[in-house]
Amino acid sequence: MNTQITALLLLPFIGAIVTFVVGKYKKSLAFWFAEIIGITLFVLSFSIFMSWHEPLNFDFQWFTFGATTLPFGIYIDHLSLVMLLIATGLGALDIHFSHDYMAEEKDQARYYSKILFFIGGMILLVSAKELTGLFVGWEFMGLASYLLISFWHQNSAPADAGVAAFLYTKFGDIFLFAAIGLLIYYTGTLDMVKLNQPEINGSISTNIIYVIAVFIFIAAIGKSGQFPLFPWLMRAMEGPTTVSALIHGATMVNSGIYIVARLFDFYVAANALIVVASIAALSAFIGATSALVQDEMKKVLAYSTMSHLSLAFMGLGASSLAVGMTHLVNHAIFKALLFLSVGAVIMSTHHTKDVWKLGGLSHKLTLVALFMGMGILSLSGVPPFSGYFSKDAVLASALLNPQTHGFLSTLTIIAGVLSIAYGGRLWTLIFGGRVRDREIYEKATTPSLFWISLPLGIMAVSTLVLGFYHEKVINFIANQEYIEPHADWLLLFMMSAISLLALLVYYFYRRRYSLREKVSAQPFMKTIRQVLLNGYYIEVMITWFAKNIMVYSVAKSINWSEKHIIDGLVNGMVSLSHKIFILFEKTQSPKVSNQSGTMLLGVVLIVMIIFIGSVL
Amino acid sequence: MSSLLLIFSPIVLSLFVYFITRNSGYAKYIALALFGWMLFESITLYMQLPQTGYMLLGEFLDVKAFDFKLVLQVDRLSVIMLLLTSVLLILVTLSSWSMKNQAAYFALLIFFSGAIFGVFMSTNFLWFFIFWELTLIPMYFLVGVWGAEGRVYAAIKFFLYTHVASMFILLAFFLIYKQSGTFDMTMIKEAVLVTPTLIWWLLFIGFAVKMPLFPFHTWLPDAHVQAPAPVSVLLAGVLLKMGAYAMIRMVILMLPLEAQKYAWVILILGLLSLLYAGFMALYETHVKKMVAYSSISHMGLVAIAISAMSFESLSAGVYEMIGHAFIISPLFLIAGFFHHKTGSWQMGDMGGIMQKSPYVSAIFVLAGLGALGLPATMGFIGELTILISSIERFGTWLIIILLGSMLSAAYLIWTFRRVIYGEMSELVMKTEFSMSKVEFLSLMIFAILIVLFGIYPQPLFDMINQVFSGYVIGGAL
Repeated sequence: MNTQITALLLLPFIGAIVTFVVGKYKKSLAFWFAEIIGITLFVLSFSIFMSWHEPLNFDFQWFTFGATTLPFGIYIDHLSLVMLLIATGLGALDIHFSHDYMAEEKDQARYYSKILFFIGGMILLVSAKELTGLFVGWEFMGLASYLLISFWHQNSAPADAGVAAFLYTKFGDIFLFAAIGLLIYYTGTLDMVKLNQPEINGSISTNIIYVIAVFIFIAAIGKSGQFPLFPWLMRAMEGPTTVSALIHGATMVNSGIYIVARLFDFYVAANALIVVASIAALSAFIGATSALVQDEMKKVLAYSTMSHLSLAFMGLGASSLAVGMTHLVNHAIFKALLFLSVGAVIMSTHHTKDVWKLGGLSHKLTLVALFMGMGILSLSGVPPFSGYFSKDAVLASALLNPQTHGFLSTLTIIAGVLSIAYGGRLWTLIFGGRVRDREIYEKATTPSLFWISLPLGIMAVSTLVLGFYHEKVINFIANQEYIEPHADWLLLFMMSAISLLALLVYYFYRRRYSLREKVSAQPFMKTIRQVLLNGYYIEVMITWFAKNIMVYSVAKSINWSEKHIIDGLVNGMVSLSHKIFILFEKTQSPKVSNQSGTMLLGVVLIVMIIFIGSVL
Repeated sequence: MSSLLLIFSPIVLSLFVYFITRNSGYAKYIALALFGWMLFESITLYMQLPQTGYMLLGEFLDVKAFDFKLVLQVDRLSVIMLLLTSVLLILVTLSSWSMKNQAAYFALLIFFSGAIFGVFMSTNFLWFFIFWELTLIPMYFLVGVWGAEGRVYAAIKFFLYTHVASMFILLAFFLIYKQSGTFDMTMIKEAVLVTPTLIWWLLFIGFAVKMPLFPFHTWLPDAHVQAPAPVSVLLAGVLLKMGAYAMIRMVILMLPLEAQKYAWVILILGLLSLLYAGFMALYETHVKKMVAYSSISHMGLVAIAISAMSFESLSAGVYEMIGHAFIISPLFLIAGFFHHKTGSWQMGDMGGIMQKSPYVSAIFVLAGLGALGLPATMGFIGELTILISSIERFGTWLIIILLGSMLSAAYLIWTFRRVIYGEMSELVMKTEFSMSKVEFLSLMIFAILIVLFGIYPQPLFDMINQVFSGYVIGGAL
């Protein structure tokens, strides 16, 4: 195999171990090892990207059990390459940013080794050829996110958040596992390239292939935080912000979209894209509306992640693979930028996450304000930022596809337009207007230029520059000359809606602050706010079901039956023989041990056996 | 002759060990050396094995009137069990390094090792049965003497359950003798037997108790709770495997036609064990009981694999047996360690142990992740291969075994949350967690084995595949 690819696959895992060992030896070394490995990984991906012209394919056998052999192939095509660049590039910037952000952390070794493991999981996931290999990476990511979200495990909230992240995603994962079993049974192959070919996916009945496609999509829902398995995405905000940037930007949540894109023709054959589109439209709406009212900075971004991933899913669901994937790429960059900017704010204000305590910070954090502003503009879809082009294309393809035209496209457009509202609100509340908490403002420090502002600047410039190279990006992802779906009135509509909302936000959160307070004091508005703040109470419902139905009804009644029925029968038999014993012996000694009773049982059994033996 | 030594030298030695080392601490070194020698002998046996079939090691005690010949012969399946057993015995010795009352403890352990080798090496039903029963005696004392508060109840329950089961087995053996005229298990032809159905059921129930399958499992959690942690490892890693081994050897391979007919019984009981024990573990707040139910749940998975009766599924089943032994052992050891230090079994009393004892906690998490089937651990390979092979045999509805996987994720992750992560409880805060280096070494070896064979399972499968390839060629499957 190509040495570059071997290095790319093995380095993060070896690096994770080395970083841990070295970091335990000397704390400060952990960062440098991680930084060097992170940059090397990006360089490796980039060099593969530069020399790439056709899909790279390497076949290996993992193991043979019985007469069945499970392969473990590596397959790198244009989709994998894009994901590789995103994961390693943003990963390296994230590690660089961590130098200051995690400076106070004692356990540097553990942190950096988990980060490298996380990036390694993503690399494995996107370069796997078979679903088994992908599943390995998929579960590695689940594990890494669990460990990183509960990084500060000594506190209850992050530990709980880790549990939520693992179990929500695991629920999806078992469907992917089931899909693997079904695919082996029906097609005999797990090769994702083959599954896309009509000879394979046409050979099974449409119902079965539909079920398999939906199963895989459930796994994608879990990983990419779509309705109804999204609550873990918001809980994940308990982890370090650099981890949030990695989960929400560079790696984990992208994998759900990647798997649908990777099996795109399979989904077309299964006729399952409409399922993708429906879930996506609903999630986009839920995410965008919930983001409007969140108090915690990171939660605004978390809901916006959910909403924007839904837009990417919508692009896929509206049968435009390249459009969805392009939005994913653009989103990854500006979302990592936004998370790290918020991280910079959190760091300089000494761990203030409540957005209402900030304000007027643009004087102190000028560069961060500028870069985050660029991120917000890209998020909202303002030209010439890259976010505009892909979002416009997603909305247009949703409108033009006859299956999604109508209700689904309307939900999607509302969600797409609302980005400016929550994005603008967030930026205004942090950087604009008056200072709400004088003490926090006074104490705020200016972040370092090299460790903090540089990675932010690189991402901000990328999100701007990619806008100019939009054609090239989408052509590369589509691997051909791609003609984007286009709706003439959409640009005009979007621009006017965005301007209107931007004005509204400006008015509401900056100019007429009292008006906002008056409106939000209305009982009706209060109710809506509560519903949105709690993410439509989906988490409450799921938790209620898991706790009250699964644990306190099913498990509890099984526990009861174990004690009273199964054990009860045995104990009953023993005490019965005990009573017979007393009856026969007529001894009235108050305590005859159980043993004698059980001994009798044994004697009876032996007699029975001798009896049966003599009969036969 | 060395084969005979392998069985009887431990049994004889155990007496001497007790008397010689009663006043000194040498028992553990003798045990370690002995088990090391047993591992070496097992490896030698493996090297000498023919491609298929049995290798005769020796025949002793030839009584002309009665088929009571002690025939020692091994095939690949038994040697794999010998290897697994001797590796586990070594690791158990390491992890009982600071056990109290050492001379007696190791004497019993050494006695047990001889008996268990006898079970795997003898092919005469009567001798098989004698060794089978002999394993119970040291186990009974190990649970009953070294155990915790309710140990007598647990030990008697354990003895009784397995004893009643043994009656079924013995009855089946006599029926076989009556109908075929031999106690030699390699000579039994299913066609000769008059009442194969009755024999199949007797054997099945007898071995199902040992495995254990629902609803014959309730002796196990009690025995586990009372047993000291290393003895739990023996229970889960060796004694249960004995049941699974006998199930494969006699219920499946010896009576394939009957087994085909009643495969659904094994399947249903396996499925019930998997899910029932999963729910039990979900509700459990007693750390070790949770691990015990998790162990039953995984043995249910083994039963499902066995019931599918194909080349693939039997290989997957044996792999899962080995994987289960390596995964569940550190969980038991660490659960025992936490109890030993804090004095409590309740998860509610623990919490935040990661802050006190990070490396032991990390191994607990790793083994737990193995139990819930995370890739790069043996648990994943076992689950994947069992899923694929059992679907092949019984149809796609069997994807419901993944519900077991979801359950194990739920109870294990919650256990981590309650025991390892979170804020330190008062009890944990005032407890000093220190583990001796030798005990930690055994945990590390388990951890390395779990990951090594999880990433690169081929060497293990090379061994296992050959076990059943002989039967494939012979057309028995």
